[in-house]
Amino acid sequence: MGLIGRVSSGRSSLCSAFLGLIPHFYPGEFTGSLIVDGLSVNDSSIAKLSTHVGLVFQSPVNQLSGAGTTVEEELAFGLENLGVPHSEMVRRVNEMLKLIGLTSFRKRSPFELSGGQQQKVAIASVLIMDPKVLVMDEPTAQLDPLGSRLVFDFIKKLTKRGITIILNTQDINQLAEFADRVLVMDNGMIVRDGTARDVLTDINCLNSHGINPSDLTLLSSELKKRGLYKGHLCLTMRDAELMVKKVIKK
Amino acid sequence: MTSLITVKDLSFSYISGVKALDGINLDIGKGEVIAIVGHNGSGKTTLVKHFNGLLKPTSGVVLVNGIPTVGLTTAHLSRTVGYVFQNPDDQIFNSSIYSEVSFGPSNIGLKGSKLKSRVNEALELTGLSSIKGKHPLDLNLNEKKMTTIASVIAMKPEVIILDEPTSGQDHDGVKRVELLVKELSKSHTVILISHDMGLVSRVANRIIMMWDSRLIFDGPIREAFTKNDLLAKTDLNPPVITELAQRVGLMPDIFTVGEFIDALKKRK
Repeated sequence: MGLIGRVSSGRSSLCSAFLGLIPHFYPGEFTGSLIVDGLSVNDSSIAKLSTHVGLVFQSPVNQLSGAGTTVEEELAFGLENLGVPHSEMVRRVNEMLKLIGLTSFRKRSPFELSGGQQQKVAIASVLIMDPKVLVMDEPTAQLDPLGSRLVFDFIKKLTKRGITIILNTQDINQLAEFADRVLVMDNGMIVRDGTARDVLTDINCLNSHGINPSDLTLLSSELKKRGLYKGHLCLTMRDAELMVKKVIKK
Repeated sequence: MTSLITVKDLSFSYISGVKALDGINLDIGKGEVIAIVGHNGSGKTTLVKHFNGLLKPTSGVVLVNGIPTVGLTTAHLSRTVGYVFQNPDDQIFNSSIYSEVSFGPSNIGLKGSKLKSRVNEALELTGLSSIKGKHPLDLNLNEKKMTTIASVIAMKPEVIILDEPTSGQDHDGVKRVELLVKELSKSHTVILISHDMGLVSRVANRIIMMWDSRLIFDGPIREAFTKNDLLAKTDLNPPVITELAQRVGLMPDIFTVGEFIDALKKRK
């Protein structure tokens, strides 16, 4: 599920609430209820919630514990705290290293890696706890295009593992490639909730909440207005390519 | 065109021996809007830090207004070349927007009404006038970014360097930065380091590509987007609309939905 909206729309606050950082860590008034994997965040500790929900921050540097001097130690850190048996720990660390494609970097310091590699280590260090829900708060905002691509490719791979992923992002073109559902937030409220296709091609809705629709969607809408195209609005590069080929053939 | 910054055979190595710039030649004229692009670690920031004297060449020379930077201090050069850091938190240290923005100009001796009008002008341009008393810790990311840009504008430099000004900004924030860059470019030379090729294509007219400490392309932006080998090398993504035009065999240098439709009409 994608979470989109303008700055200060409440997206990051909602992400924090999934892990109980709101209300337990950030003071304020909390009403209503939020239940994650059967646990009410109001009545459960962050420690308890963190075995059910994982949160990945914007900056990998904030996430990496610094307690591990190598990538494999960093990955094992959360499990060590839970007292997981050594053999089980080794098995899960190996699995994660393979998943993020950094097996040959296992003895390197996480701080020597590129931004994209660091963010993958940060995500894996959360994933290794085997959460049911993985919340990612703008995981590519501070990465260069190569780093973003590495991380998005990795997230795509994760969607096939059957884990629930909540992704706060501003990259609509990437979201279009793999989200099932998208929430739009504005002014602290959820203002739209629907399938990725319905929401991301709703140009009026996106514009009125400060979000740029994809140029591919805008192009298909313009072509429709001019009577050159009659199909549905485009979201992905593949859709748009098919559309333009049809229009050229006519 | 008068040359404002001239770079001749510039090489730079860090004390560790790592070569960060290798044989750079470059001329930057008054009023240009130049984008510098390339991987993290390709030398972009190292290059621009030579323009305001934060770094001095290992070999070669950098001239600002015809004077070699080697004899000048950053304090002196900052009146000509202003540098806005990527991360606002690296730059902001005062307790209100107003005091942050007035710090630089008061340091170079401005006082009273002169100081006030200089600061207010910068706040006006960046849209911060109505919140000038706010504490920097209470600002959102866009307001923080605008504060750092305002404090550089208030020094009235001829050149403004913006290092990744849209990183972490949302759509509104990117739009505000974009409008500001367009406004600044009317009266300044603007150097923009960015990965956002959409933004770059809308504001800049010249692009410099860095790769592995070297300058591998310097020319008009439209030409750059047709160099697929260089784009691949530097891992830059052309805007989606440009990529679509290339995939379906329309002109390779289309930037906007409007241009796309025009090209499509011609094709039909």
